[in-house]
Amino acid sequence: MKHLDCEEVKQNVHEYLHSELHEPELDSVTAHLANCDSCEQHYDIEIVFNQVIQRSCDEAPTQELAERVMQRLREIQDHD
Amino acid sequence: MSQEKSEKLRSFEQQALPLMPQLYGAALRWTRNPSDAEDLVQETFSKAFVAWAKFEQGTNLKAWLFRIMTNTHINLYNKRNKDQAKTALDDLEDWQIGKGESITSISTRSAEAEAMDNLPSGIIKQALDQIPEEFRMVVYYAVVEGLPYAEIADVMGTPVGTVMSRLHRGKKLLKTLLSDYASQEGYRVEAGKE
Repeated sequence: MKHLDCEEVKQNVHEYLHSELHEPELDSVTAHLANCDSCEQHYDIEIVFNQVIQRSCDEAPTQELAERVMQRLREIQDHD
Repeated sequence: MSQEKSEKLRSFEQQALPLMPQLYGAALRWTRNPSDAEDLVQETFSKAFVAWAKFEQGTNLKAWLFRIMTNTHINLYNKRNKDQAKTALDDLEDWQIGKGESITSISTRSAEAEAMDNLPSGIIKQALDQIPEEFRMVVYYAVVEGLPYAEIADVMGTPVGTVMSRLHRGKKLLKTLLSDYASQEGYRVEAGKE
């Protein structure tokens, strides 16, 4: 297993969290995180950041929009 | 109405329309306001419906719709050549983007996570709206939609390497903006707070 330093592990945070890391890098990062509080906390902050972004983007469309779209699709179909 | 025509509308209604919440979420990030987002969703569904016969059943419908939305938005609002999607920001060196490391001057990491967790959603959205759209959309698709990099690349019409670097830089830019907000507001997390 390749040994990674903290800088390399921190650079991989997004790939790790988005399941874009594969063997053998994944093993190297997982092993480093198990033994490094600083990197683990860095990853935890990124997880919180992602949750905060998800929360802020939680907006639903109105029922009127659904009706408007259906109306438009019927018009397109009639002119087909 | 012929049977074939009504079948087309029925299958589109069953398969594509349930994805409206996801399309609206993405449209809000593209346009940054509800009224334009609604227009973009309607235009995307209209184009998708016209092209419905070209959709290969069994492939990723949501990604197909997001791709149509990208092109629709560029045609509607940007009028720019897709080949120019690379922005000046892509050419900056990492140090020029800012450190984007910490949103507070507080040194402990748990306080940092707590301060971040306390940021109001409106402030996060404002910060998202301030970063260039190619970066904003990559952050959105990766973080909120959870799309794999390869799908984001497909939706945005860029190489995977560009997706990766825009995700890193987009989040860095966001953190820099949020850290400015936090310092202006005198945002503090009290150590030892219950």
